[in-house]
Amino acid sequence: MNTLIVVDQPPYGSWAGREALDMVFSLAAFDQPSALLFVGPGVNWLRSNQAPSGINQKSVEKNLSAAPMFGVEAILADRSACERFGLTEATLVAGVTLTDSVPDTLDGYRHVAFAG
Amino acid sequence: MSKAIAYTIVITGAPWASQAPQTALMFAREALLAGHRIDRVFLYGDGVHLASALSTPPSDETHWPRAWSEFLEQQNIPAAACIASALRRGVIDETEQARYELAASNLRAPFEIAGLGEWVEGNLKSDRTLYFHGSH
Repeated sequence: MNTLIVVDQPPYGSWAGREALDMVFSLAAFDQPSALLFVGPGVNWLRSNQAPSGINQKSVEKNLSAAPMFGVEAILADRSACERFGLTEATLVAGVTLTDSVPDTLDGYRHVAFAG
Repeated sequence: MSKAIAYTIVITGAPWASQAPQTALMFAREALLAGHRIDRVFLYGDGVHLASALSTPPSDETHWPRAWSEFLEQQNIPAAACIASALRRGVIDETEQARYELAASNLRAPFEIAGLGEWVEGNLKSDRTLYFHGSH
């Protein structure tokens, strides 16, 4: 069973994205093939050098960087959303695979879920 | 009749903040009536508020946490609230009350507190996992 967890909301405005990360880490911990897909404003999760200390939050960048260690197979992002939010190779965190077709990506997974 | 389907239901929307618990309950009732099965219910994120024993809506409104509890008990369906989501939001069972030396506990029976492993298992064992969200 392979599962894709989708994040479509920017970080820091709600807890759903962090809970999406917990879901994918949990799948990986139970040896279930899993990946993350960032779409729409959710691609802002992937911006490097985030500095949320001014709002007393911990950077999600650090959480996300743990994904490969947990065994999450891929961090995917919609290329057009990245372009829309001005994310280039220079401003993206490492290890992100860009996809040109979200529908094709979704087709590759048996389960697709949002955190909320 | 077509083949019976076994479902895991995940609720991430809170009662009175979203329609998710109501829609999920209506789905669950109809699914059973149609001969399908509900393996388990998992509350995640804001959905854990459904497991609060302290919700007290006006008496002329449907009490969604109670309605869900009654349904789960009648149908003998196991239900769990994610421990990390629940602790953050103040939904506490007696074990966690003791562990964190809190003033009270408020978990509504028959809900239990469990880890995301319950959800992973639901994904593996049920034919389908259905999500009822507050915001999607």
